[in-house]
Amino acid sequence: MVLGYKPTMLLNAVNMEFSPRYHHTADMLLDEQMIIEAAKQNPEHFGPLYDKYYKQIFGYVYQRMDCKDTAFDLTAQVFLKALTNIEKYEYKGVPFASWLYRIAHSEVMQLFRTKKNLRTVNADISDLRHICEEVEEEYMEQYKSVLMTVIKDLPEDELQLIELRFFEKRPFKEIAEILNLTETNSKVKLYRILDRVKKTLTKTSTNNGN
Amino acid sequence: MGTKFNLNRQPVPDEEINSHKDFGELVDKFKKQSIEKARSDANFLKNKKATYTAIIAGATVVCTLTYFTVFKKQTSKQNQNDKITTNQTHNNQPTKNSAKPVIAPPVPKLNVAYTSYSVKAEDGAVLKHKTNSKIIIPKKAFVNKQGLDIVGDVEIKYREFHNPADIIAGGVPMTYDSAGIKSTLESAGMIDIRGYQNGEPVFINPNKTITVEFQSEYISDQYNMYVLDTMAGNWVYVSRDNSLKNQKKNEPKKTSSLQVKSDVPMSAKQKDIQKQIDAIPPKMEAEKIVYSKKINQLPKVTTPSKPIKATAGRPQFELDVNYKEFPELQAFKNAVFEVGSENKNYSSKLADITWSSAEVSEGPAKGKNYWLTLKLRERVEKLIVYPALAGSDYEKALKNYEAKFADYQDLLAKREADEKKLKEEFEAKQKAYVQEQERLTAEMIRERIRIQKEIAENMNQQMKTMSSEAKVTRIFNVSNFGICNSDRPVSMPQEAKMNPVFIVNGTKTFVKANSTYLISKNRNLVFNFGREPLSYNPGESYSLCVISDGKIYTCDSESLSKCFAAKQNKIPVTEVTAEINDSHDLKKVLGI
Repeated sequence: MVLGYKPTMLLNAVNMEFSPRYHHTADMLLDEQMIIEAAKQNPEHFGPLYDKYYKQIFGYVYQRMDCKDTAFDLTAQVFLKALTNIEKYEYKGVPFASWLYRIAHSEVMQLFRTKKNLRTVNADISDLRHICEEVEEEYMEQYKSVLMTVIKDLPEDELQLIELRFFEKRPFKEIAEILNLTETNSKVKLYRILDRVKKTLTKTSTNNGN
Repeated sequence: MGTKFNLNRQPVPDEEINSHKDFGELVDKFKKQSIEKARSDANFLKNKKATYTAIIAGATVVCTLTYFTVFKKQTSKQNQNDKITTNQTHNNQPTKNSAKPVIAPPVPKLNVAYTSYSVKAEDGAVLKHKTNSKIIIPKKAFVNKQGLDIVGDVEIKYREFHNPADIIAGGVPMTYDSAGIKSTLESAGMIDIRGYQNGEPVFINPNKTITVEFQSEYISDQYNMYVLDTMAGNWVYVSRDNSLKNQKKNEPKKTSSLQVKSDVPMSAKQKDIQKQIDAIPPKMEAEKIVYSKKINQLPKVTTPSKPIKATAGRPQFELDVNYKEFPELQAFKNAVFEVGSENKNYSSKLADITWSSAEVSEGPAKGKNYWLTLKLRERVEKLIVYPALAGSDYEKALKNYEAKFADYQDLLAKREADEKKLKEEFEAKQKAYVQEQERLTAEMIRERIRIQKEIAENMNQQMKTMSSEAKVTRIFNVSNFGICNSDRPVSMPQEAKMNPVFIVNGTKTFVKANSTYLISKNRNLVFNFGREPLSYNPGESYSLCVISDGKIYTCDSESLSKCFAAKQNKIPVTEVTAEINDSHDLKKVLGI
């Protein structure tokens, strides 16, 4: 039986571990800021940032496509854009990664606008379970295909939210930074998506006579 | 066709991700892209077919070359010093945003003068500047604004900025804006180099570099290389100044040229004096010996022995001696030997014995008593005896004694006189030797002092030489003419702020400052506040230079510190009335 969904659960994300990569201490942010300032003066100084964030950015890009080579090319493109525009970068008290993700997001979206067929959704079964838990629905095998269909058919901006939150396990603050939203707005948007997902799952459950 | 959904896709191994990481390639792409962008910008300007003045065309070329050189520099992985690129502009070329020239000497006559050199472009040259800096110009180092090689004479104009006075006099802006954060550059030395042919500016061939081996008085290696972008009105970071590191790597470790000799050898004069000093004690000793000999040679005067009158009642021995057989006892002829009271072994019975032998020998009190040894077979008795005379013998002996004593006194007086004379002579000679020794010692000390002074002077001279040599060579690799600086950004003072009112010392005249310079003590660091309020750090020491309508006013560090400590915004300044004609004069006036 499906119980009433409480959006506040989103804040707690029970049984879901979020990536700590986004979290930086004040010292780490300061160190990063110094490297950025140096890189603004001399591109050779960009190296530490490249090393630090390459894997993360590749992960972000490859999360959204099947072709590894394209993902690597796009990752290189992201860093080239970052280096080209680093003089415009302004520190906003969040890790430099947020800015890189925004560039990556922009590059990926631009690619999908021209080559839509490259877009794929990649998740683990455990991610689908988390979605079910989030909507307070017990995961059942028959939900797998329903969830997959619902998710892949979501509009791109909504799919991004699901991907960032459940497949990449990012905190709302980072999601908001990447998508250029406020933290509250991201939560509200995600609640609405999950509400729809819940309704679909309820419908599936009812149709199956559970 | 809908979006594909992959469930439980295999993750990409870290090794595979890392194998695609190539930062070098990224930087190369970035440089290539930047060059293309620069070229396209240049082409865009060409295609506009607008009428550009020669200066704007030159600036475009310079901009292109700037990009090229910067990116070329960035690819260099050699340990060579980075090339420095500047925009060539004239001193008074205004920025885009302001009508005020970037380089604005506050008092034109004080401006740091250029030195002109003539160089055959096709041959190149090595120019030695008056500061010992070296300007190395390779062959075919110059191109015209069309990018074509220049032949013939090129005039190189060159000047250096070494201290706050040069910075103020030259009107070079030292403010550095990095990402909106303003700081001031503390300089280890700055050069301004330009090239002209027939009055027209020339440019450095993009494939060549002019190297300036700058003699810097600041030996720290914590400096960066910057070039002044006179178009943007800001300094452009080029690289770290690795000149010193490279020098340390490449040059054998130099030993100090100051040689302090711990064991200074004696001068010839000192040796001579020391020889004389050393000869005196033996002379004195020899004189003592001579003196002793002379004393010994004086006739000996012996005190005659006064005859002793025999005491009645005292036990006495009379010796029955054959004086012919024993002439040594002649002296005791007619004498009796009184037994001394100290003889405890004496008894009257001894006088009854006829002793087989009686020997008289010197007694414990020489000349006064004798040992009398009496023997009979095994028996031996020793008695202290005193020779004495009795009756007429005594009288006769006494007279004889008195005569001898009179002679003795005469002889003694003479001897004493002779001894006194010899002693006086000896003492006079010894005194003369001591005086000579003292004189020579004093002379030796004077000579030592003279030599020490000489050494100290030599050392000072060496120190001065070293001090003037205590410079380091900073390498400026110049790819475009303009101003290059080896320096480091220093935060503007922020701890306290005031709106200063400058009052001429001893008057009630206020000075309306056109420029206010805060000069950090013992550093090549000048904060230019223009007409803005002053900010300062109370714990630091500054002096002040104010320029108003071409007049220079100063406030020394002591007076300024007092004002800052008291947070007193009325700052007393002294008008410089002495004639100052250049930055050297300004340096003296500022007490730098």
